Amino acid sequence: MRLTELRRTTGFRLALMFLLLFGTCSSLLFAFVYWQTVGYMVREQEGWLRRESTNFSSLSTDDRMLRLREHMRGDPGMRRPFGEFDATGHWLAGNLPSLPVEMQQTDRPVNFHMMYAGARVPFRGYSTHLPDGHWLVVAQNVHEPYEFEELMVRAMFGAGLLTLIFGLAGAVAVGTSSMRRIDAITLAIRRIVTGDLTERLPVQRGGGDLSRLTHEVNGMLDDLERLVHEVKGVCDSIAHDLRTPLTRLLGGLERALRRASTVDEFRLSIADAIDEVGSLLHTFNALLRISEIEAGARRAGFTQVSLSTVLTDVVEFYQPLAEEKRLSLQFVDDAASVAVAGDASLLFDAVSNLVDNAIKFTPPGGTIQVRLDAAHRQLSVVDSGPGIPPGERKAVLNRFHRSEPSRSTPGNGLGLSLVAVIARLHDMTIEISDATPGCRISLSWSGTEG
Amino acid sequence: MSRILVVEDDAQTATEIVDALVDHGFSVDHAADGRQGLLMSMAGGFDAMVLDRMLPGTPDGLGVLATLRATGAQMPVLILSALSALDERVRGLRAGGDDYLTKPFEAVELTARLDALLRRRHVPGQQTSLRAGPLEIDLLTRGVRREGETISLLPREYDLLTFLMRHAGQVVTRTMLFEEVWGYRSEERTNVIDVHISKLRQKIDTDNRPSLIQTVRGSGYILYATD
Repeated sequence: MRLTELRRTTGFRLALMFLLLFGTCSSLLFAFVYWQTVGYMVREQEGWLRRESTNFSSLSTDDRMLRLREHMRGDPGMRRPFGEFDATGHWLAGNLPSLPVEMQQTDRPVNFHMMYAGARVPFRGYSTHLPDGHWLVVAQNVHEPYEFEELMVRAMFGAGLLTLIFGLAGAVAVGTSSMRRIDAITLAIRRIVTGDLTERLPVQRGGGDLSRLTHEVNGMLDDLERLVHEVKGVCDSIAHDLRTPLTRLLGGLERALRRASTVDEFRLSIADAIDEVGSLLHTFNALLRISEIEAGARRAGFTQVSLSTVLTDVVEFYQPLAEEKRLSLQFVDDAASVAVAGDASLLFDAVSNLVDNAIKFTPPGGTIQVRLDAAHRQLSVVDSGPGIPPGERKAVLNRFHRSEPSRSTPGNGLGLSLVAVIARLHDMTIEISDATPGCRISLSWSGTEG
Repeated sequence: MSRILVVEDDAQTATEIVDALVDHGFSVDHAADGRQGLLMSMAGGFDAMVLDRMLPGTPDGLGVLATLRATGAQMPVLILSALSALDERVRGLRAGGDDYLTKPFEAVELTARLDALLRRRHVPGQQTSLRAGPLEIDLLTRGVRREGETISLLPREYDLLTFLMRHAGQVVTRTMLFEEVWGYRSEERTNVIDVHISKLRQKIDTDNRPSLIQTVRGSGYILYATD
């Protein structure tokens, strides 16, 4: 048992604190009861002693002697010894054999001891100096009240000791169990820190605050693991997607070095290389743009943007491209004007990405509709193309994701993730669904901005 | 020869800019901080200024611009800014900038924009027609003619041609076209502009006549003014 560590555990400290608190409270309570009880007993005794003393003092000397003798007969066990002594302290009457030293020259109750039946017995007595010069002592055996007091004190100490033992044992148990849990958690964290992101903190049944905490941390770890996987995926994709153009670039340059002889041939190779580098740069710019938009700095430049204007412009912009592919591209709206707080250029980018994809993947002769549904706060791009399989709908929003059939078409796989970050910046939700046949991608926004 | 003042604190960037501008045929002066830039620009004699938005110390880029404009100087100013300051574009233009370019940029984009700024300055405000080689545009009736033959254009094609003709003989980048003709700012999807250009070419280069709009590889387009 690592005692220093145990001492530091919250459970142990809390248990000790409660033990201390409980002990203090009980001691105070006991002290109160003790003082009350003992005080009551003493007051009762003293009252009785004074009353008896007064009774006797008011009698004549002869009557007193008579009464004392009667009393002596009625109290053979020396439970309440009375006695009368002359001024020099000699015994005159009563069952108190001698005048105790403490009882002379005093007018208040005094404790004294006397030998009786071979034992030292405690008494409490009250002496009165009578007018005839005699001393009258009225006393009571206080062995029983003393015993009662002692019993009470002993009971208190016993109970206190038991409480202390059980409390300490409990504290140790609580501390040890919390120490074990913390140890387990620490171990798990250490494994996570060293790279095992699949590890989770142990969660105990039955809840509790520590369980709630570990539950939250585990949730955080889930997110972290997902993000790390995503980042890794993005890195892999970047490496993969950039390798192809870089290889082409390298190949072209090496070929030029080997074969080209005229200035024009070199010029052509350089121009090809510039194109490759340009497309690489474009990919990097797109990546940077996405993270810049993700950072949300452009929110500061938001203005009220008319969505129908943006959508009309996108459709007009892409019309020649659509015509070239013999596609019908239309803008359909429900004639209500909609303004949202946003960045017109980014919204144009988002919608044009969707239209661009639709044009890319819809076979010739198909239709593409850009719809603005002001009543349902939604805009959508619907095409008659092959659509996106349900399993891939979430993945296509990730950076560099390209579905297998699209690998052959030009593009950097960043389009839809750009749409996703622009949508998020505008508090819009993106949804991909079937248009049977075809694909429907909708952006919906909440009511507060319209 | 146009004289350009470049105010840029980063030595390497400044060298790149100065080289590009000198290659393009400008006469270039360089100031390394806002104070020096302001003094040089106030001294006069420059046709345009390339101004870094973020300059160390005071005044910074916007400070230089504001002071310059307060003295009544009309010289066109192109503001350069880091990518992260994209949202400050509006502030830069509001402070009196004429154009705004985010770093990193290609040299051709900078020179093309400077050409456009300088051209804009020399064009008299109340023009009613444009002429470039065989092409003629009546800005009031929006009528387009090539060698007297009327050509009918869609509104956007008309805007596109007008912009190219206003900058006849200069390289115009796709980004500039997208910004000026469509009114959106983005470096994405500019390849779609090629399709618009080819549509425009089909309309103005009838009967197999030589194309007036030339593609400049890797940069953009140029409309030649010669016959």
